[in-house]
Amino acid sequence: MALPKRIIKETERLMAEPAPGIQAIPHDDNLRYFDVIISGPAQSPFEGGDFKLELFLPEEYPMAPPKVRFLTKIYHPNIDKLGRICLDILKDKWSPALQIRTVLLSIQALLSAPNPDDPLANDVAQHWKENEQDAIKTARQWTAQYAHA
Amino acid sequence: MAKVPRNFRLLEELEKGEKGIGDGTISYGLADGDDLMMSNWNGTIIGPGHTVHENRIYSLKITCGNDYPDRAPTVSFLSKVNLPAVNQKTGKVERLACLDSWKRSYTIETVLAELRREMANPSNKKLSQPAEGTFF
Repeated sequence: MALPKRIIKETERLMAEPAPGIQAIPHDDNLRYFDVIISGPAQSPFEGGDFKLELFLPEEYPMAPPKVRFLTKIYHPNIDKLGRICLDILKDKWSPALQIRTVLLSIQALLSAPNPDDPLANDVAQHWKENEQDAIKTARQWTAQYAHA
Repeated sequence: MAKVPRNFRLLEELEKGEKGIGDGTISYGLADGDDLMMSNWNGTIIGPGHTVHENRIYSLKITCGNDYPDRAPTVSFLSKVNLPAVNQKTGKVERLACLDSWKRSYTIETVLAELRREMANPSNKKLSQPAEGTFF
């Protein structure tokens, strides 16, 4: 099963020049399937946590977006209980000009800027809107409880 | 072809199951919506018409191990049913063609659909059945 050149190039660059706070390593037995770790951004409720994700490049990639989900539990209005992520570039705003790197940077940015007006986890979003300080406190607790390596 | 890893395959199956399958005579969903590993599933089969199973609702549990879909899930009836495929002591499905010669392209839906066909199979559709609403 030949891997498209674009995927090989992207992988090489991810390994050689990783983005700060982001690690992505392909599985030996499936080079379209990556183990990802994103460090919680400074000044966010996720600071200090290492969040595990999995990323898969479907057959149609780059015409279709990568599939990504969190494997570490996280309290965030745009991430649901199964780790699925509500992010426009993973859906209708995907463009083949985007890359694995840009996707992971966008997810990292989503951790810094939760968007409770476009929620995936409704209960979390409501908490965020009604009492942001308290929601952030819960997010910090979850980070400490689940995201410490 | 790209080989879809277990978890993304199960997410696809989950989304299909949430939308509802065909006429609703089979359905399935996660047993625990918080289970990040998506291992345990509930299934339902509505007994096919013109058989002893007509209008009965059968509950099943399906377990997808770490090597799913390279290996078949384990499937058990919770509701009592008399079928040659089903162990009459435990409810476990032990003889079903799709489980015995499992292929990676098969899904939870494949298994439930085949079980429903087994119920309608001429050699099974008149088998005497345990009382409705009893469990293994």
